[in-house]
Amino acid sequence: MLDKRLLVVSGKGGVGKSAVAAGLGQLAARRGKKVLLMDMSNGGGLAAHLASGTLEFAPREIRPGLFAMRIVRSDALLEYLTLQLSIRGLNRFGGLARAFDALATAAPAVREIVTMGKVLWEVREKKWDIVIADAPPTGQIGSFLRAPKSISELVPTGRIERQAAWMSHTLGDPDTTHVILVNLAEELPTTETRQTLDWLETNQLVPPATILTNRILQDLDREPAGKGPILEAAMHHRSVYTEQQEWLGVLTPDLTLPYLFGLLTPPEVSARISDELEVAL
Amino acid sequence: MTSTILVTGAGGVGKTTVSAAIAVSAARAGLRTLVLTVDPAKRLASALGTESLGNEPEPHPAEPNLWAAMLDASHSWQSVAVRHAEPDVAERLVQNEFFIAASEHFPASQSYAAADQAVTYVEALAWDLVVVDTPPSAGGIDFFTAPAQMADLVGGKLLRWLTGGSLPGRRFLYTRAGRPILRMADSILGNDLLERVAEFLLDLRTTYDGVARRGRQIESVFSNSAILIVTTADPAPVAEAARFFRELPEVASDPIAVLFNRTLPDTWIGAPAAKSAPPVLAENLRRWGAESLRQVDTRAEFAAVHNARVVSIPWVAHPPTDLDSLESLIRESVDFPFDELAIPARP
Repeated sequence: MLDKRLLVVSGKGGVGKSAVAAGLGQLAARRGKKVLLMDMSNGGGLAAHLASGTLEFAPREIRPGLFAMRIVRSDALLEYLTLQLSIRGLNRFGGLARAFDALATAAPAVREIVTMGKVLWEVREKKWDIVIADAPPTGQIGSFLRAPKSISELVPTGRIERQAAWMSHTLGDPDTTHVILVNLAEELPTTETRQTLDWLETNQLVPPATILTNRILQDLDREPAGKGPILEAAMHHRSVYTEQQEWLGVLTPDLTLPYLFGLLTPPEVSARISDELEVAL
Repeated sequence: MTSTILVTGAGGVGKTTVSAAIAVSAARAGLRTLVLTVDPAKRLASALGTESLGNEPEPHPAEPNLWAAMLDASHSWQSVAVRHAEPDVAERLVQNEFFIAASEHFPASQSYAAADQAVTYVEALAWDLVVVDTPPSAGGIDFFTAPAQMADLVGGKLLRWLTGGSLPGRRFLYTRAGRPILRMADSILGNDLLERVAEFLLDLRTTYDGVARRGRQIESVFSNSAILIVTTADPAPVAEAARFFRELPEVASDPIAVLFNRTLPDTWIGAPAAKSAPPVLAENLRRWGAESLRQVDTRAEFAAVHNARVVSIPWVAHPPTDLDSLESLIRESVDFPFDELAIPARP
């Protein structure tokens, strides 16, 4: 997985997608790769898991080999127009960003193509060994992955169309791109992950995705016993374990991460996840 | 008089289950209660008495005071056009590809549609209490600012951004205001894309009076509603809950309480294990006790920082599948604000 040029990490809200993206980035950097982590969804989760403070549009080296940035749409638009579409004489002021917002609200895929375009541009520039995108949640990921195709349908000729064709190709190349869906062994996340997998399979825009199920409890290997708290804690553990096993049966993961006990801060969580992934990858 | 409870919070914290549990508790305490829910899990939907919740409220087969319905934003957005535009314009709008895109892209429009539907049921005066599980799609506070944002959208703010200056008439489409931004966009996007967008926005503008009036009615219901915020003790949803406490008083009203879902018993914290206890079980108690301590700290900090009433809802491993287990989620919670919400004790 870490041999790819682009990892797209998605999942239902609250499953730990930003923590996994941050953990993957730390692991890749430890293995000597030059890594760019990109926050596509602007939720701030990635910055919290890196203890980086607010991320900006310009990549910043968080620790050796590990760079991080967040996609600011107005900056990304300007770059998209000047670098990718070779339109000169623009500046970020004036009506451009607002007119774009107006257009992006009403026209399908315009907003997404700018964000997705920035991610794929960084992949193409070959400045990085690997680009890891903390992508929008599964509810929205389809419109981002489909954006190049939607734009091709909307604007069937010209520079935009050529850009879109290149983007579609990069996303679909199994040597370049890999999608990771973070899941929990609970009903709603599992249902949503299943739906996303079906959608990905139907649309064939990206290579087959990896399912990573987070916060898995180990079996106690011991019948609950005693009385009071020790019995209650054992019963609680067992019933959560049983519930998780049911959902693991519904959707078998390619990878799992353990439930992390007693951890307080997001940076601790992502550091532990990178250690766990070290063994698995 | 119908009172309203708006239940909000980050995704994945059990907001839908908690909303249903509050509704069941109120219904069983004698209030005619309607719960409006967003995308419930299958098992929750069956607990509410119907596998496939519809857009129209349906009574629960076993609990005569309890009604449930789905908030379906995609459907309601069309009703904006049908209700507030002339028939021929409405017909053009709902078939317009940009109308469909805007309903998906403009998060406030989905929140607006859901709020519009919810307020319709509040105004029907057929229930004592309406419990609204707010949609997560828009992300938090947007649900409450949606009416104003929606009025901006249809009021022509976008159109002005596209064309600059004063609002153009339909003639603009043929004269091309000559703004560089439009010429540039045309050169990138091809000749008729902007024209199609502007045409759509002009149609949409005819709904302005209706949408603005309705927005004020929605905001009035919001400001008279009791707001509850659901979270777990995890950092991300707690940060989201903190945002609500900071920003909600401005746009709606002060939240009544923050509900910490999935709370572990505090009796596990530092509880000693018998010397004879199997080491595996003693270690298990120690770990869960540490989790419980972390939760206690998080709740105490939140209460202190935000001067908030903190409610603990117990962690149940198996999500509730019937009315009894839903009700007990609330009845076994700690410090639930029954009085403030005017939910009577069970007869």
